[in-house]
Amino acid sequence: MMRWLAMTAAVVLLAVGAFGFVRDHQLRDTDATRNHALVDASATSQVQSQVSQALVKVLSYDYADPTPTQQAAAKLLAGDARKQYDTLFTTLQQKAPGQQLVLTAEVQSAAVKTLTDSTATLLVFLDQSSQRATDKQASVSAAQLQVDAAKVGGSWRITGLKPL
Amino acid sequence: MSAEVEERLAEAAEERPRGVRRLWPLAVLLIALVVAAAGLFSWSRAAHDDSIALAKTRDAVLIAATSHIETLNSLDYRHVDAGLAKWAAVTTGTLHDQVTQVSSDERKLLADQKKVSTGKVVDAAVFSLDGDSATVVASVEVTVQDDTKADATPTVKRNRFSADLVDVHGKWLVENLQQVAVDIS
Repeated sequence: MMRWLAMTAAVVLLAVGAFGFVRDHQLRDTDATRNHALVDASATSQVQSQVSQALVKVLSYDYADPTPTQQAAAKLLAGDARKQYDTLFTTLQQKAPGQQLVLTAEVQSAAVKTLTDSTATLLVFLDQSSQRATDKQASVSAAQLQVDAAKVGGSWRITGLKPL
Repeated sequence: MSAEVEERLAEAAEERPRGVRRLWPLAVLLIALVVAAAGLFSWSRAAHDDSIALAKTRDAVLIAATSHIETLNSLDYRHVDAGLAKWAAVTTGTLHDQVTQVSSDERKLLADQKKVSTGKVVDAAVFSLDGDSATVVASVEVTVQDDTKADATPTVKRNRFSADLVDVHGKWLVENLQQVAVDIS
């Protein structure tokens, strides 16, 4: 009789324990918790600053010295972003010397939408000013970019760049 | 050896396994108790985990902000009062006061302009989150239909917005909404 009671109690307790572990897993393994944006404050600010710096470097351009821009692109862009950029850069290289074009980019805000250990998506507001030395014309534009980033070897690279 | 001693030895030999057999259920019970306690403990820890709560809050803020920013970018000249009532429902603080204090003259003006604007958030992200206040940035597409011209095609504009929200009794409301202007020379 005692043994039967003890076994029943044990089964109930095991069930309670299992339920606890299942609930624990359910709470921890959700879409919300898989996204570390803002939750991991240091990782969030790291991707914010690295992506912002990368964008400024690849979207600033001086016809007189295009090499830094090109080098930055080679280092900081990958995947689709690289291909899109190469097309853009080729066009720019053809036009820029004739117009004496200087582009300056500045990030207004970079908000991290999703973040995992190795991938991130961001919404970036970026200002770009362009000056043409030939006719002293300057214009500014307000851009909104959807940016995909991937962490390679400890630093973030831009893998997707979509103007909204 | 006497018969008495032999009997005692036999009894003793029988007693030990019986004792072990009696302890078995107790051991199983103890293990089950530990499993139950561990399960309940990890559940309770997950339920009170700050980072899980923060992740949920972040997602809730984004959903509320997206909807509110769309509301605040939408107004139909045929239903100005209803539209402004919607604005009032999603705002708080000075912004709320401004919305509720729109005079009847201004309402009439809005109605006479005959414009239907519809805001749609193309993309949005929580920029910062601190307890009961948050800042959300959004790329907004605003479509404006001008009914003063009979067959005018609607104009579509993309705007950059930044919204400050606060948690008012469990509801995230917009305290400040402004365009992110170009700031480069």
